[in-house]
This record gives sequence, C-alpha cells and structure tokens, in this order.
Amino acid sequence: MKPSRVLEQNIAVFGASGSGKTVMLSSFYGATQEPQYRQNNLFHVVADDAGQGTRLHQSYLGMKNSARLPMSNHFSATSYSFSVRLKDEPDAKAMKKKPFDALRLVWHDYPGEWFEQNVSGPEEAQRRIDTFKSLLGSDVALLLVDGQRLLDNAGEEERYLKALLATFHNGLLSLKDDLLEDGKPLVEFPRIWIMALSKSDLLPNLDVFKFRDLLIEKAGDEMADLRQVLAGLVEGSDALSVGEDFVLLSSARFDAGKVEVTERIGLDLILPLAAVLPFERHLRWAELKLLPAKVGEKLLSGAGALAAVLVGIKIKRPGPIGPVLKFVGLVLSQEVLNDAAKLAGDRLQVLHAEALAKRDYLTAALTRFKIDLEAGEEKRIFIRSLR
Amino acid sequence: MSLIWATRGRNWGFRFLRDGGFQDPLPEYDSVFSGVEDEPEAWRRVAEKVALRFPDPLGRKDAAGRVIPHEFVAFGPLAEGVDTVADGLRLIWPLVAEEFARVWERPRPPSSGG
Repeated sequence: MKPSRVLEQNIAVFGASGSGKTVMLSSFYGATQEPQYRQNNLFHVVADDAGQGTRLHQSYLGMKNSARLPMSNHFSATSYSFSVRLKDEPDAKAMKKKPFDALRLVWHDYPGEWFEQNVSGPEEAQRRIDTFKSLLGSDVALLLVDGQRLLDNAGEEERYLKALLATFHNGLLSLKDDLLEDGKPLVEFPRIWIMALSKSDLLPNLDVFKFRDLLIEKAGDEMADLRQVLAGLVEGSDALSVGEDFVLLSSARFDAGKVEVTERIGLDLILPLAAVLPFERHLRWAELKLLPAKVGEKLLSGAGALAAVLVGIKIKRPGPIGPVLKFVGLVLSQEVLNDAAKLAGDRLQVLHAEALAKRDYLTAALTRFKIDLEAGEEKRIFIRSLR
Repeated sequence: MSLIWATRGRNWGFRFLRDGGFQDPLPEYDSVFSGVEDEPEAWRRVAEKVALRFPDPLGRKDAAGRVIPHEFVAFGPLAEGVDTVADGLRLIWPLVAEEFARVWERPRPPSSGG
C-alpha cells in the first residue's frame, strides 16, 4: 500500500498528569489486538512502528494480567501512528476508484506535566513546543476531565473543574507566541474540542448529559474563557466547537489489585470521532458559511474524499492523495457532500449493509463509524454539538 | 555531586531534583536512558555512567495512585560499584532518601540543585 493513498487523521488528547492519557492509548491499541476485536471488525489496527506496537501491547497486557499501570512519559512525547487496514484484500479495480484506501490515526502522547509546571530546561522547553505544534495540527482534540478528581471533589466539583480549565487556558496562552509563526493564526488546528470524562467507570450514575450539565453549571465561565483563547489561535474562529461535544471514556475498571481491561467505555468511539466527526462538522460550517475561503479549501478537501467513499461515488482519476482530494472537493456538488454528512438512521444502516454485501470494506468501515457515533448517543455516552 | 535524580511528588510532576551540575540535565539523562525499557526497575551502564530506575522504596504514590519512580544518572566515582538495581538502592538511595521525605508531599515542586 502506497502511503500516498492513506488519509491521515491526528488526534490530540489533552490531559493533566495522571488523568489517564497513556492508559487510554494502551487500552485503545491493546483491545484492537484481542481475538474478538479482530473477528468483529472490518479492519485491523496496526502500529506503523512494530516496536511501538509491541510496547503498547505489552502495557495493555501488563494491565490485563498483572494490574500494572503503564509508565508515564518522562520529559518527552511520543507520537504513535496506527494504520486502519481493511481486513480482506479489496477488489483492486474498485479500490483504484476510491480517493484513498486506508486511514491512519496519529495519536500524540506526552507528559501531562507540560501544562502544569515549568520544564526542566531549554531542551524540554523545545520538545514541549514541538509537541504542542503537532497536537495543534490535529482535527479533533479531547480535553480530559479526570473522573477520580471529580469524585475526590464531590459536592464542590467546581474547585477541580475551574482549576483544570484554567490550567489548559493558561498553558495555551503562555505558549501562544511560540505556537504561532509570526503571530499569524493557524489554519490547521483542532476545531472540535471534545470534553471527555476519563475514568468514567468511577461515576456510574453520571451519564453524558449529567457530565455536560456539571461542566456548564460549575465551570461555564472557564469554558467560555478557554474558547476565547483557542479562538485567538485560529484562522476563521467562527468555525470552532469548544465544549459542545461531550464523551464518557473509561479505559478499564480498576479494582483493588485487578484491572478489568474488557470493561471499557467509549474507546470504540475514538476512531469514529477522529475520522467522521470532523467531516460532518466541516460540512455544516461550510453550509452555514462560517469558513473563510482558505480554511474551507483546506477542510473540505478531506471532506470530499470521505463523502465520495460514504455515498459510494466513483472517481475517475486515482493518484497521490493531495491532488485527488482537491479534485473530489471540486467535483462533488454541495448536495452530495451534505447528503453524505447527514447520512443517518435507517438509510445509513442500508448503505452499510449494501457495502458489506459488495465487500466494499472501506465504505462499510466508514458507515460503521457513523453508526457507532449514533449508538454512542443512544447509550448516553456521547453528545454531538447541535450547532 | 555527580548525580542526576529525577522523580515526582504526590502532586507535582516528574522533574529533576539533582542536576549533577549540568545547566540542562536532560541531554545527559537522555544519553543513558534512551532505549531503556519501560520497566519499573532498570539498570544500565553506558560508558562511565549508570542509569538506574526503581520504584519508591517506601511505596509512596502520586495523586493518581501510581507508585513513584526514581531515576538516576550516576557518574564518576559514584557510579563505580553500582552494578545492579540492588546496588543502587544500597549506595545511591541513602543519598537522597531524606530529601525526598521532606519534599514529596509539598503542593509545589522544589527546585533542582546539586
């Protein structure tokens, strides 16, 4: 598979030290290596660096078999690149007519301390800037709210929530000059900042609506302040969702001396959140005319490729991903794009079933992602912005 | 003292508490720790330097419930005779044990030195 035929999505997980970033990454990857995942899914998740894959799998097995938590990151960040490879060899001729034939997820893991305290010296300072620059090239960001800390502050959650949001706010503000080249706002930037409750198994009575309400009631002002800081970093800041999407996550259930890695919440939404949520949102923003030309061109080229796959449109000119994406963005009408973005419910199920029957696994995988997001909403672990 | 020491407290994150006399101890730390496995205990000798990692001997944990690790880079005469993690616990840990007892529960990190 040529790398030029891969659509890459980056995910940025922002969380304080101890909020569960590394555990989540290990749990996400480890679960995809389990036999039932391999049986039940249309694709394999493969670490592009085999050594990294082994280490993540090892961390997962350490949790599963010995209740041992993965080591935290010390002084440096690591980027993990995963390819979502379709299970069966697809029809080569049909695949050539798709704008891409594989998805890649890049997940950046880094020390949570980087938001909370000063770095040790110039070397770490540079690493922190480089990492945040990569993080800010993502499409989606998850802001982790630590379920354990909410529990520790039961009844006065505002103490924790306000401090957490202020930490993100101040951290980003203090790096602003280093993150922006010549002070120019960024075009590539996570425009969807999802509030994510980590360790949500500790709060079994909190569904995603109660989580949202808690955040808005107790730290609504701080969320608004954070939005303002983020808006100051980005070109076309009307096209920005901060604290409008919410998700519950739990990487495992931790009991005394035992880690039940099979009891996970929301981790199956990670791929759909990275792959199809930005696509839908970008198109909605285009429809509402919130995207300045330069931003629209950038965001919608990827949307065009996804739309083509979702609604099964064949394109005539395969080739390197850049030109093809632009091509697809141009030739697909707004109606087709919107149609693909709004695919839902029964029609989505029908398209998914048809794709499966035709062994069109790329379309099947993407329609599955959309179905998974709908299922997440029904299970009250995910809220999608209505704006 | 020819010792770099990195650790964390209950509420403050991983940082250097001894810088071994280097203005920026991180490149020195990296030069011996790069490639060291993510295991709770580690020992490795690189040239004249020793990389050493072990969990807090008193089992002290951070706010997230993780046992606090201590990491050292020892060099010069101090590195001689440290050929295992057990040697490190015997020869190096006593040099910092009291200091850690004083600072680990502080709300904010102490600054590095020495």
